[in-house]
Amino acid sequence: MIAIKKTKSVYQRLAGLSVVRAFGSTMGKISGGLMILLVFVAIFAPWIAPFDYASQDLLNANLAPAWPHVLGTDEFGRDVLSRLIYGARTSLSVSATAIFISITAGMTLGAAAGYFGGTFERVVMTVVDLTWSFPDILIALIFVAILGPGLTSTMFAIAIAYLAQFTRLTRAQIVRLKNETFIEATINLGAKPRHILWRHLLPNALSPVIVVGMLAIGDGIVLEATLGFFGLGAQPPTPSWGAMMSSGTAQLFLAPWVIIFPGVVVALTVISVNLFGDELINSLDIRERMRED
Amino acid sequence: MSKLLEVRDLTKRFESGGGLFSKPRSMHAVNGVSFDLHKGKIVGVVGESGCGKSTLARLILRLIEPTSGSLCFKGEDLMAKSAAQMRALRKEMQMVFQDPYSCIDPRYTVAQAISEPLQIHGLSKDLDLNKEVAQLLEKVGMNPALADSYPHQLSGGQKQRVSIARALALNPSLLVLDEPTASLDVSVQAQIISLLEKLRDELDLTYLFISHDLSLVEYFCDEIIVMYLGKVVEHLPDTNTPAQHPYTRTLLDSTFEPDPNKRREITALEGEVPSPFNLPPGCSFAARCQHSTSLCHEQVPPLEVQGSHRVACHHPLVAS
Repeated sequence: MIAIKKTKSVYQRLAGLSVVRAFGSTMGKISGGLMILLVFVAIFAPWIAPFDYASQDLLNANLAPAWPHVLGTDEFGRDVLSRLIYGARTSLSVSATAIFISITAGMTLGAAAGYFGGTFERVVMTVVDLTWSFPDILIALIFVAILGPGLTSTMFAIAIAYLAQFTRLTRAQIVRLKNETFIEATINLGAKPRHILWRHLLPNALSPVIVVGMLAIGDGIVLEATLGFFGLGAQPPTPSWGAMMSSGTAQLFLAPWVIIFPGVVVALTVISVNLFGDELINSLDIRERMRED
Repeated sequence: MSKLLEVRDLTKRFESGGGLFSKPRSMHAVNGVSFDLHKGKIVGVVGESGCGKSTLARLILRLIEPTSGSLCFKGEDLMAKSAAQMRALRKEMQMVFQDPYSCIDPRYTVAQAISEPLQIHGLSKDLDLNKEVAQLLEKVGMNPALADSYPHQLSGGQKQRVSIARALALNPSLLVLDEPTASLDVSVQAQIISLLEKLRDELDLTYLFISHDLSLVEYFCDEIIVMYLGKVVEHLPDTNTPAQHPYTRTLLDSTFEPDPNKRREITALEGEVPSPFNLPPGCSFAARCQHSTSLCHEQVPPLEVQGSHRVACHHPLVAS
């Protein structure tokens, strides 16, 4: 009758239930649906894309959108639609992976700093704040210098650019929660620090981090596109939305579709990710959730 | 009568401020508190807010590390225990907190909150947790059907019952109650108090009851310890013993009498509590006391023992 074993699935309830509930509203359905569509497109790119993203056809370069090149071709005669579809793979995976790394590292550092405090906290926060003082592009350049241009450098650059945000957010949450009576009450039950951190502090600190993470994925896509635009990200012929826009600048007036369509896709993706993030804010609030039930 | 807890010269100083060029100021939150807690008794600790009652409660449970002093629980020296030993010992001594609204994790259901102590101490494997939770809820007078609700769905009184059930899950022998009724309605207060009375008889518990409500303490407790500015000023062995300390007397006189015919003039205390950062040289109550003399301002009155009644005053009042 009474389900007690739920304790284990605090994270599952958070991630699973709340994400599902975020689809409840119209806005959630539209933005969430668009995101799912993008992920679907990215995963099944080889089956969906009508052409090979790398095959050049110089005779048919800069074709305006018309059948069979629905979105036209670029300066090498490559199909823009196919490149966009493959580009979704690059953009989404790089951004999502980078933000995932950033959240993991940021939450670990932030939780440790907030929980243990003292000198450790000061050292961690100083170093982390230092990364915030560099422009993202500069961090990317440093990594490009070390690792050479490519997606790995882009990923690390994005991860580090957002590290400070997650570290600060988690630390602030933990510091606030640490002084709550329920933490003192749990210590008084004889709980080990590990139990308090994993069962009480982190689950309660998680929801704002998830929301900010969601919004950061949108920013990460833009940052990936920016780095790609400067030629620091994906190297040709790997398609990325940023790199596609970059190559489109050369024939902006001759073949505007080469730059417009990737731009539209980036904008749509970021808007849907952000809107879905907003829906997630509401659905993550446990009190809100109960009121709806 | 066996001693459950022996508190000796318990002191806590909080350091505050202090930078590169300034010395930290120290604040005496609890200053040399000694008393014994006998098995099965309810000992009340009263005093104004800020007098160190809650700090005392946390010091006894070592939720805050004392600056000095000794704690002896069931013949064992608590101060000598390591963190791990202390965690195991917490089964024996539980606490109910003042604010029922924040003492349960908002993400935990009632059942999860109540079974958590059992899981922490590895007792959950041998027990049927559902049954255990239902039993505990019944014990504190709650409907077991509420086990799946979240704290914010419960009323203040229900939440306080949940935190009592949670404290009882480990079968403690000592329960420290830190103003358990302070944030509840009067009618709910009465329910909680009668529940606590019932539980003490059923489960053979010993209570340390922290409160600022003197009439409640007079009704509920066997012994009363009166604190002022981190110190014990008077320890009444039972509620019939007349108070001798002017502070206790003023506190007693300031409780409201429901019967208008018996109502008397309330003598409000003049002045302010001295700053705990800067304790006066003599009796800390001297500045507000009608009976103070120059001796009071110069010398700290010792806690004098008269049988089991203890009072710290140079000029104790004679029973009237």
